[in-house]
Amino acid sequence: MEQILVNGAILSANYALIALGITLIFGIMNVLNFAHGQMFMIGGLIVYTVCVVFKLPYAVGLLAAAVIVGLIGMLLERTLFQRVMRISSREENTMLLAVGTALLLENIALYVFGEKQRGIPPMVSGVYRLGSAFLPANRLLVFAISLALIAAVLLFVNFTRQGRAMRALAQDRTATMLMGVDVNRISMLGFGLGAALAGIAGGLLISVSGVNAGIGTAISTKAFIMIMIGGAGVIGGALLGAVALGFAEAIGYALFPGSVTYLLIFTALILFLLIRPQGIMGKPWG
Amino acid sequence: MAGTSMRYFEARGLTVNYDRVRAIADVNLAFDEGQVASLIGANGAGKSTTLRAITGLVPLAGGEVWFDGARIDQLPAPRRVEIGVAMVPEGRRVFPQMSVRDNLLMGAYARKDRGAIASDLERILVRFPRLKERLRQGAGTLSGGEQEMLVIGRALMSKPRLLLLDEPSLGLAPLVVRDIARLIIEVNRDEGMSIVLVEQNSRMALRVSQYGYVLETGRVALEGPSDNLLNDPKVKELYLGG
Ligand SMILES: Nc1ncnc2c1ncn2[C@@H]1O[C@H](COP(=O)(O)OP(=O)(O)OP(=O)(O)O)[C@@H](O)[C@H]1O
Ligand SMILES: [Mg+2]
Repeated sequence: MEQILVNGAILSANYALIALGITLIFGIMNVLNFAHGQMFMIGGLIVYTVCVVFKLPYAVGLLAAAVIVGLIGMLLERTLFQRVMRISSREENTMLLAVGTALLLENIALYVFGEKQRGIPPMVSGVYRLGSAFLPANRLLVFAISLALIAAVLLFVNFTRQGRAMRALAQDRTATMLMGVDVNRISMLGFGLGAALAGIAGGLLISVSGVNAGIGTAISTKAFIMIMIGGAGVIGGALLGAVALGFAEAIGYALFPGSVTYLLIFTALILFLLIRPQGIMGKPWG
Repeated sequence: MAGTSMRYFEARGLTVNYDRVRAIADVNLAFDEGQVASLIGANGAGKSTTLRAITGLVPLAGGEVWFDGARIDQLPAPRRVEIGVAMVPEGRRVFPQMSVRDNLLMGAYARKDRGAIASDLERILVRFPRLKERLRQGAGTLSGGEQEMLVIGRALMSKPRLLLLDEPSLGLAPLVVRDIARLIIEVNRDEGMSIVLVEQNSRMALRVSQYGYVLETGRVALEGPSDNLLNDPKVKELYLGG
């Protein structure tokens, strides 16, 4: 029981980084980022490269994952999404574009890194006991870093000038322009921040369970599940969805054989969406 | 324009198309610092389009905009806010999921003198006591009149020198319209702010302003001191309800 709580909390924190990232991008740009899992995967493989191939410290790897994946996000936003959004008024076009970028990133990763599952040795060793639960020090560190980053993102979005502009842009583009905001720049920053969070989440998870070039779609699927539970584009909803999925997984894996857990999660999700299609904190309109 | 004296604000020959359909053609506006100019006209006459052209929300197909001696129509929209042109859009458009306070702070986004923002917020809340009571409330929960106060306050937070108001009375009860009218007069008088007031409530607009323009199908059909327009038989018949 206590083990389930510990595992659930650790998973939730990592998932929250994924859900926050995809929510920022969806909220600000109205783009469902199908490439989110691929960004996560690239973040993990960057950490692998920095730490295992170049033998540099983990902190350097994590920073590189954040910066490089963030820059990839900004580049994609500026060169692809901004243009498609300008010249096309149909929303599915940006969705198709996002699917295309997911395939592109995945194939680049396959080409560069191969198909092998990659992991890194734990950054810290040792195991703590929490009642009857085991808590490896490495997972505790991952958990702490995740929580710190979640707090930093929430502070940024809620209390800084640029964060406020991102929230404003998510609500009313024209009014935001009238405030003197360079909305293209803020879009690019928001996309970059969302991507960087995916990269960091991948860079954290690789030290726990490893990452391979094909993991992206599974991660994107988890991201979608979380925002479906919580409500798309709502930051509180993203966090709620992450906690729900993290604990559902932890409970499921403790009670059922592997593949049954996600079968149950999907079944429950569909039943839930029949009752509340907008998610727990989502708005039924718009 | 050597030789001719330039007014504080001048729009010359403003022309805007939406997908090649002409919305306004050859619109000329001019007024002095500290004046209130009103722009009245029927639905679809091009009032909002004229304001959008001044702020840079729509591209010009022709014409120029001059403000305080500088040509501004080639500046990107955010730069125009920085140099002191603020617009309150039609339909208010608060940021509904943000608090009243965050809405007001968004107004100050483009300011360079960030140190003065806190004291200006205090000052503006003195003018809008209703907003002060609701500072932490979501802007979407405010009444229509309060939302109008909020978007005007938000625009004031940018410390504008020219304030463009698009139908501030839209959908408000007569008593609230009177409050808004008084507010516009006070802001103009206390801060010496130049204002362009777009209204379908022509009587209110002409009473508040010193100079008025009547737009008809994208062109200035009539202009003059507001008092003259108020007594003009044609204006009376078409815009003041006889
Ligand atoms: N985004 C747009 N796309 C295409 N046409 C537009 C657009 N906005 C306005 N128009 C057209 O341009 C003309 C002028 O519209 P505008 O909104 O400027 O009028 P208005 O005087 O503000 O009207 P109202 O009193 O209804 O607000 C109208 O014929 C309108 O249909
Ligand atoms: Mg209008």
